[in-house]
Amino acid sequence: MVPLKYNIRSLRARKVGSLMTIFGIGMVVWASIFAFGLSSGLDKTLEIAAEPLDVIVLRKGSTSEAVSAVTEKAARDIKALPGIATGSDGQPLAASELVVFAYLPRRGADIKVNVSVRGVDAVSRALRKEMTIVEGRELKPGVREAIVSRAMSNRFQNLGLGDKFKVDGGEFEVVGIFEAGGGAVESEIWTDQRVLAQIAKRTGAMSSLQFRAASVADQERLIERIKNDEQIDLGALTEKQYYAEQAAQSGLIKFVGYIIAFVLTIGAMFAVANTMYGAIASRAREIGTLRALGFGRFSILTAFMLESLLLCLAGAALGCLAALAVNFLLGGIQTGTMNPGTFTEVAFSFDFGPKILLQGIFLAIVMGLIGGFLPAFRAVRMKVVDALREV
Amino acid sequence: MKYLPLILRNVFRNKVRSIFTGISIAISLFPLMLLYAFLDLQDDMASSTAQYNRVAVLHEGGLAGQLPIAYVDRVRRQPGVKDAIPLSWFGGNYREEKTQFAQFATDPKVFFEIYPEYACPPDQIAAWQSDKTGCLVGSVIAENKGWKIGDKIPLQGNIYPVDLELTVRGIYDGPDTADRSWLVFHFDYFDESLKEARTPNSGNAGIIMLRTESASKMSPVMQSIESAFASSDAPVKPMTEKEFGASFLEMMGNVRGFIRMTATAIVIALICVAANTMAMAVRERTREIALFKAIGFNRNTILGMFLAESIAIGLLGGLIGGIGTKFLFSLIDLSSVDPGLGMFYVPWRTALWGVALAAAIGLFSGLIPAWRAANVSVIEGLRKVV
Repeated sequence: MVPLKYNIRSLRARKVGSLMTIFGIGMVVWASIFAFGLSSGLDKTLEIAAEPLDVIVLRKGSTSEAVSAVTEKAARDIKALPGIATGSDGQPLAASELVVFAYLPRRGADIKVNVSVRGVDAVSRALRKEMTIVEGRELKPGVREAIVSRAMSNRFQNLGLGDKFKVDGGEFEVVGIFEAGGGAVESEIWTDQRVLAQIAKRTGAMSSLQFRAASVADQERLIERIKNDEQIDLGALTEKQYYAEQAAQSGLIKFVGYIIAFVLTIGAMFAVANTMYGAIASRAREIGTLRALGFGRFSILTAFMLESLLLCLAGAALGCLAALAVNFLLGGIQTGTMNPGTFTEVAFSFDFGPKILLQGIFLAIVMGLIGGFLPAFRAVRMKVVDALREV
Repeated sequence: MKYLPLILRNVFRNKVRSIFTGISIAISLFPLMLLYAFLDLQDDMASSTAQYNRVAVLHEGGLAGQLPIAYVDRVRRQPGVKDAIPLSWFGGNYREEKTQFAQFATDPKVFFEIYPEYACPPDQIAAWQSDKTGCLVGSVIAENKGWKIGDKIPLQGNIYPVDLELTVRGIYDGPDTADRSWLVFHFDYFDESLKEARTPNSGNAGIIMLRTESASKMSPVMQSIESAFASSDAPVKPMTEKEFGASFLEMMGNVRGFIRMTATAIVIALICVAANTMAMAVRERTREIALFKAIGFNRNTILGMFLAESIAIGLLGGLIGGIGTKFLFSLIDLSSVDPGLGMFYVPWRTALWGVALAAAIGLFSGLIPAWRAANVSVIEGLRKVV
């Protein structure tokens, strides 16, 4: 085998050319990681939201809470069904919730967008463990108050602590800011359910009923029961399915992201091939010498493939570091988009987890292997005599 | 100009390298074209619809608000308004498909008054108007889904607890910038189905789309409508069709920012790639450059020659990438991937902008190598063994 040191020194000898290539690859990896990070961040937000044992009950045929209706009677009937987990107070862990829209302007923009406002009852919090108030105080029942996620508070006008905003003509005051470790709740405003129902003139029916099943078997049984009960006449699905369906609506973002990454990778392959052709052309004599010294064709091929890989891995490292650095400097890249399934704002952070970085590195390896192959092959095919004669 | 043959020969001296660089630029330009075409299309749509003087009237509470259907007539009676229709988003699921396309309940008698750019054979219009469960579909979506006149289209209600069964009675076409992915049907059929199901949401006009008599009437009409409904149960917010379209892009978040960032990364990567190519070319030809200088070519000529070579390689990539993307997407219809796009093509100005961008990449990537070429020392260069 040709020692790896030879390749590293060769790359160093052609400093400017190598650096240019590494920088170019780094940019491509960086852009790809961003595209992956965006779609993964959006998916994760919807995914984290799901508790495995939780079930969400909606009107038959509706795929989002905002357009669903569950009557109070049906909610009572379902809460009485056996198999629902109970809280510390012995009450079933089931909450009917009301979701309506507020129409609010983003910070620094004139155009308003829909934001989900969730009217919650006493059990709602128990169904979402991770929520903590980080500023201000908890919601008091019976008054026009709201708590807002940190992400939404940062993104929207009128949602800072102490600010007032309107829902269906009624004014609410923001009394608390909460965090929930990512997830769909971070795109919501929470208020007291009864107050909200009164203002939105939505009495008699809530949007959805959420409950936690006692076990997986209970979960399956309850879903079947609710679906087939003609009295209740509602649809039920696990929270996981619910959010998976919402995530499926954002297919275009994902599609565009992957197209960009795929195409850029192919573009970068040609760049790598160019650099390696250049490297090999100017080292014809060296290659001849190596062959004359007794290094076999296969060792030469691997040596040059390795060199191409090294180049790309250095680029990948640069791309990953750049992405992490930007993320670190900005304290996480928070953004938001419209959930195409519900037409409401969903706030999310870019995901630069190990999986995303590995995807970027994988792209670089593909660039290195495919881009390096033809040049390395050329190096192998050189005749020793001709190569040594070359100036 | 007399150097042109020389420059072109230099471009293709190392064929593999130049072509690889060109392809690298062309391929990387492709996603850029895709993203910018999307933005340019939004602008094109906005400017091409401006001549029709359309105004969208929304509930003050946004798209989720309910506008009573009686408002359509009241809007129609406002001075300066030519005509108005309801556009009530149904949002039903078609078969098992997860992605939705635009389905609106509207007034078939007036629909073509509001959208005069849509073309449909008169017999099909008449058939649609006279069949209460009939619908009119755009040519793009009809092709994607394989719909023909007479086909039944079942829609399961998602927002509303009713299922509809519609029959295709007409297929409309229109200019490139028109959204030809709509399905529109009778508001009466929609509303009667809601009343039968006893839902409280019947009589919802969704938004009201109106046309004013002239462009100058648009802002007075918007003002008078806003004040006419100000103290009603459902106050309204009128906006021009252009503003209405822009609000959708805005809702998607910082799309422009994301596109700009990706574009910057791609352009920087390409400058590096192309600069590397040029640097290699200069290094290989050091002796030759010294010789050129020795026989009397001055610095500026050498500088210009190398810059021209670098721009030529950029242009090569730009022509393939820019114009190629345009033709690729006239063959492939992206709106079949996501009907929400409505339509997709690459406008000429986007394609030409791509070519210009590639030339600029060529220019910038050539600056340093060309400068180094221009400053090759004659004596050392002639002595150099490459």
